[in-house]
Amino acid sequence: MSYKQIKGSYSFLTIPMILIMGMVIGWPLIQTFIFSFTDADLLGITKPSFVGLSNFLDAFQNRGFLNSLKISGIFAVVVVSVEVILGTSVALLVNQPLVGSKVVRVFLILPWAVPTIVNAIMWRLIYNPEYGALNSLLYQLGLIDKYVSWLSSADKALWAIIFADIWKNFSLVTLIVLASLQSLPESQVEAAKIDGANSWQRFFYITMPHIIPSLQVAMVLRIIEAVKVFDIIYVMTKGGPANKTRTGSIFIYQEAFTNSRIGAGSSFAIIMVAFIILLILVYMRTLSQQKR
Amino acid sequence: MKKKFKFSMLLKYFALIILFIYIISPFLWLLIMSISSSAELTLKPLRWIPEKIDFSAFKELLVMGLNTRGELFLYALRNSLVTALTTVLLSMLVTIPAAWVFSRYSGKKNVILSLAIFTFMLPPVAYCIPLYKMLVRFDLMDKSLALAVVYCTFVLPFCVWLIKSSIDAIPYELEEAAVIDGAGFLQRIIQIVMPLLLPALGTVALMSLIMAWDEYFYAMLFTNSKSAITLPVVIANLASGRQSNYNLIAAGGVLASAPPVIIGMLFQKTLIKGLVSGGVKE
Repeated sequence: MSYKQIKGSYSFLTIPMILIMGMVIGWPLIQTFIFSFTDADLLGITKPSFVGLSNFLDAFQNRGFLNSLKISGIFAVVVVSVEVILGTSVALLVNQPLVGSKVVRVFLILPWAVPTIVNAIMWRLIYNPEYGALNSLLYQLGLIDKYVSWLSSADKALWAIIFADIWKNFSLVTLIVLASLQSLPESQVEAAKIDGANSWQRFFYITMPHIIPSLQVAMVLRIIEAVKVFDIIYVMTKGGPANKTRTGSIFIYQEAFTNSRIGAGSSFAIIMVAFIILLILVYMRTLSQQKR
Repeated sequence: MKKKFKFSMLLKYFALIILFIYIISPFLWLLIMSISSSAELTLKPLRWIPEKIDFSAFKELLVMGLNTRGELFLYALRNSLVTALTTVLLSMLVTIPAAWVFSRYSGKKNVILSLAIFTFMLPPVAYCIPLYKMLVRFDLMDKSLALAVVYCTFVLPFCVWLIKSSIDAIPYELEEAAVIDGAGFLQRIIQIVMPLLLPALGTVALMSLIMAWDEYFYAMLFTNSKSAITLPVVIANLASGRQSNYNLIAAGGVLASAPPVIIGMLFQKTLIKGLVSGGVKE
C-alpha cells in the first residue's frame, strides 16, 4: 500500500500558511504590480492616476536605474565567483589532516554568524579614513605614505564593500562543501590510490563530482543573496560616493522612500524581479543540461 | 621525493595560518576596539593593544537609565528577541502541518510549495512599498508583532522547504501502521512524525532565529522607537552618527554578534547538515 492509496484530503492544513503568505507576499506583490502602472506617491498627497506603460518605458531610459542594475550585476558576479573559489579551496585545505585544522574549522562559523549589519559597521570602522585599522596597518608596514579614504573614493568604495562581503560569506560555501567532503567515502579514495590515480586525478574524478551538488546549493543561495544586496551597502556607503555603489535594491529604495515616487519605484522593482527570474531560469537550464 | 613532500606540507601549514589570521583578525579587532578607551582609538597611527582594558562602552550600553543609550539598547535587545522568537514560533506553527501535507500528499499542492520557495528569491524591495502602506493604514507601524509577521516573508519559505525535506526522510510505513490502527491526521503528525522530526526542527528553528535576528531592511523601515526597534537598526544608527565613540559602536557590534556566534559554534555540525540535506536532494 503506497501512501497515495490512503485516501483523505488534508489540504486545509496548508491554509494558515497560505493565508500568511498571501497577506505578506502575494497581496503586496500584486499591489506593487498595480502601483507600477500609476504615478502614486508615498504619502498619497495626490490621487494616483493610471499612466500605462510609461514608468516602464522611462525605466529603460533612466541612466541611474540601468547603472544600478549594472552595479548589482558586477557585485553579484565578483562576490559569488570569489566566494565559490575561495570557499571551496578553504574547504579542501581544512579537510586535510593538518595539526590545527580542527581549530580553524570551529572558527569558520564565525564570519557566517556575525550579523550582516555588524559586519558592515565592523568594516566601516576598519576602513575609517582617519583612525581605521587598515590605514594604520598599511602605513606602519610602509605600504602607503598617506591615509586612504577607502569608502569615499569613487574607484575604491565598491571593491572595499566586496571585500567585506566576501569575508562574511565565503565561509558559508566552505561549511557546505566541507560537510559534503566529510561524507566522501574513504574507500573510494583508497581504491583509486591502489589503481594508481595521482592526487590530481583523484581530485577531478572522485572529489569534484562528489562535492558539486552541494556546491550548487551554496551557489544558488549566494547568487540569490548577492543580487538582492541592500543592507551591507546601505550601512557602509548608502550607495555613494557618486552613486558608484548604488545597486538595484538601493536605487529602488531611494526612489520610493526618499523621492517618494512609489509608482516609478514599483515599476523598477518589477523589472528587477523579472531579471532575477530570468537569471534563475537560465541557471536551472544550464544545470539540467549538465546533468544530461 | 621526500623533500618535495615536506615542501608541500610547509605550504599547507602556511596557507592554514594565513587563513586563520584572515578569519580571526577583523572580529578580534572589533573585540579590542570594544574594550579600548575612545581616546586610544583616535591615536594616529593606532596602538594595537590597549594600555588598559576599559569596559565603559559595555557599561554605557547595558545600564538602564531614562533616555540614555543604555535604555534604547536594552529595549532593542528585548525587541530583537521578542520579534525573532515570535517569527520562529509562528512560522513553525503554520509550516509543520503544511509541510506534512506537501510531503505525504504531493500533487497539485506542490505548486504552492514551489511558489513558496520561489518567493525566497525575490528582493524585499518588491513588497516593501505595499507592506509599508498596509502597516501605516492599520496603525501597525513600530510594533514587534507586526514586524514578526512581516519576517514571515523570508522565514516561511525557508522553513517549509527544509521541514518538507526532513519529513520526506521519515519512513511512511510508520504512519501506515498507525492508519491501519485507525489513527487520524493529528495523531499521525503529533505521535509519529513529530518525535522523529524534532532534531531537524531544532536546526530549522535555530537557522530561522539567526535569520530573524540578522534582519535589517524591514526593521529599518517599519520601526522607529524603543517600542519595537531592533538591535541591527540601533547599531546602524549608532555607527552612522557623527560621533567618534568607536568603542561604543564596537561594543554594540560585539553584543549583537554574541548570540548567533555562540549558537553557531555550539551547533555548527547540525546547522550545516540541516542546510545541506534540505538543498541537495531534490
